[in-house]
Amino acid sequence: HSVGAGLCAAGMIAIVPGYISRSVAGSYDNEGIAIFCMLFTYYLWIKSVKTGNIYWSALCAVAYFYMVSSWGGYVFLINMIPLHVLVLMICGRFSHRVYVAYCTVYTLGTLLSMQISFVGFQPVQTSEHMLALGVFGLCQIYAFVEYLRANMTPEYFNILFKSLVIIISSIIAVGLGVLTLSGKVAPWTGRFYSLLDPSYAKNNIPIIASVSEHQPTSWSSFYFDLQILTFLFPAGLYYCFSKLTDHNIFIILYGVFAVYFAGVMVRLMLVLAPVMCILSGIAVSSSLSTYMKYLDGSGSQTKAASKQGKGRQDTNSTQQREGTAYLFVVLMTFFLVTYTTHCIWVTSEAYSSPSIVLSARSHDGGRIIFDDFREAYWWLRENTPEDAKVMSWWDYGYQITAMANRTVIVDNNTWNNTHISRVGQAMASTEDKAYEIMRELDVDYVLVIFGGLTGYSSDDINKFLWMVRIGGSTPEGEHIKEKDYYTPSGEFRVDGEGSSTLLNCLMYKMCYYRFGQVYTETGKPPGYDRVRNVVIGNKDFELDVLEEAYTSEHWIVRIYKVKDLPNRGTR
Amino acid sequence: MDVLLRPVFSVLAPPDLKLKRPGWVTTPSPYTIFFFVLVSYFLVTGGIIYDVIVEPPSVGSTTDENGHTRPVAFMPYRVNGQYIMEGLASSFMFTLGGAGFIILDQTHNPTTPKLNRIMLQFVGFGALIISFGCCWIFMRMKLPGYLH
Repeated sequence: HSVGAGLCAAGMIAIVPGYISRSVAGSYDNEGIAIFCMLFTYYLWIKSVKTGNIYWSALCAVAYFYMVSSWGGYVFLINMIPLHVLVLMICGRFSHRVYVAYCTVYTLGTLLSMQISFVGFQPVQTSEHMLALGVFGLCQIYAFVEYLRANMTPEYFNILFKSLVIIISSIIAVGLGVLTLSGKVAPWTGRFYSLLDPSYAKNNIPIIASVSEHQPTSWSSFYFDLQILTFLFPAGLYYCFSKLTDHNIFIILYGVFAVYFAGVMVRLMLVLAPVMCILSGIAVSSSLSTYMKYLDGSGSQTKAASKQGKGRQDTNSTQQREGTAYLFVVLMTFFLVTYTTHCIWVTSEAYSSPSIVLSARSHDGGRIIFDDFREAYWWLRENTPEDAKVMSWWDYGYQITAMANRTVIVDNNTWNNTHISRVGQAMASTEDKAYEIMRELDVDYVLVIFGGLTGYSSDDINKFLWMVRIGGSTPEGEHIKEKDYYTPSGEFRVDGEGSSTLLNCLMYKMCYYRFGQVYTETGKPPGYDRVRNVVIGNKDFELDVLEEAYTSEHWIVRIYKVKDLPNRGTR
Repeated sequence: MDVLLRPVFSVLAPPDLKLKRPGWVTTPSPYTIFFFVLVSYFLVTGGIIYDVIVEPPSVGSTTDENGHTRPVAFMPYRVNGQYIMEGLASSFMFTLGGAGFIILDQTHNPTTPKLNRIMLQFVGFGALIISFGCCWIFMRMKLPGYLH
């Protein structure tokens, strides 16, 4: 758009919390690089559309290859570029530059992306890439049609055109239908399909629905991550719409789709952040430059006006314009300053703390540090045999592997749904049933996270309903039904009113073992759970198949050893 | 190709279809599309997808000391949760802020009469200040420790 807009956008991207959340140490994921690759690819794409050079298009294909090798979100890219070409065709802006750019990018890019073993032959087999292929074909047809139109007489051309359109579209429709029905072209996979139909994951694949980053976004997440960018975004869109060019259309498309996808999944806020910054940069620089013109030129204007003798009226209006210009500039500066304070505050509060050392403030304002995670993992490392296997929920898999150096049953790389479901069944069943599953999985130790003593709310009891849902989602777990764990009135309660299935399942017993004798808060009876804010229902029980191995200082991590089979066959 | 198809067409008679694009289908002006984009922005940032999936109540409720139920407008302490009304209210503020900028941009045309210009500027600045202030207050209500 302009150099000023670019600089402004760069300044904003540097501190936007939405992007920082993925690039701080502790939350760093490969998306940190991927966003750079994505923006680089987009930049090169716009450059190649502007110039129509094969050089830039080839560079764009190489950047696309870089993007594919860094993140699975490249699917967004490979759908955004063909969509852009399609919209250009509809708007009648298709030119030979776009044709050259898209053909080069598509062919080279797809060939390069297929070199990555994870992608393999997906670009010609899965529905997610079909749009790119379709638009490629459409480009050829369109260009051919234009060529014919330039070389033939009108009526002859019209007949040929209409008949060709009918024949070709019917062939494509039949072909696609046959391919999809026969299974050669795979339908949209779960993760991406849930973007188009958000309720799909909730109803069919609990494990995708349970990841907290995959939840749909609320307004406060938008504001929290982006602050004034949310206001400047529509303004930037407006400035783009006022001067529609090929590349402006691309930014508009990117912005609109990014907003929608970020609304579906919180994690995709990351993809939205750069385009928000770009559009806001456009808005800020356009509006400021229009207003600054009044401040610059007003001096010479007043002189010229008074010379011509138009007098008071003109000086009044220029003064007024100056006044409003000053007001606007001051307001804009104020907004930008609050933006920086907000970003700094958010980054320091929300995105800078390591996730396994918790801190809280006591009543007198001092900080208490809960180092329970590391304490428990270190205990595991020092006091268990080297080949011990630990069963916990998948959230802690990588932590246990890295810090305790023990084998885990399931970890954060959640691609084996059946296995995780088995662990969920073990957690949700009674002790005897769970013991069978634990013997089958060859488990030595079980680890749970419990927040009832400290008030830590991301503990396993709060995640328990997801374990039930995931456990019940495979054939072996059909006896596990979510409504058994609710009270008759439909609430999830752990006190005396709770359902008996819940009060006797393994997870409950592991979390609340010996908790019934602990005083947690002044004025409350023993066994008061500080997260659920109730006194637990099932207090004095003994464990049959487990024995307590370790409980960390604030009871956050609890480790149990699985007892061996009894020597004599009966317990 | 022609020779192959001729015997087929001597038996079959192609229907005389007069397919015409209906006259009212035209490419809309950019500003119409912009209006729709703005409406969709309003809906999406209001958390409509969150509402469809999680189905929160329209407003929350708590009981106070006397046992009366009082409505709660903002779901406290959680950045990733909302009630329906609070989502729509905030996204209205976002769109209002954007509209403020757009209105201010319209005031640069020198041919508009003076009164209109002053009113438009007034409305534009007012929209900006109100939306920014309201969002700041909403955020404070949600997260009591905001900017502390």
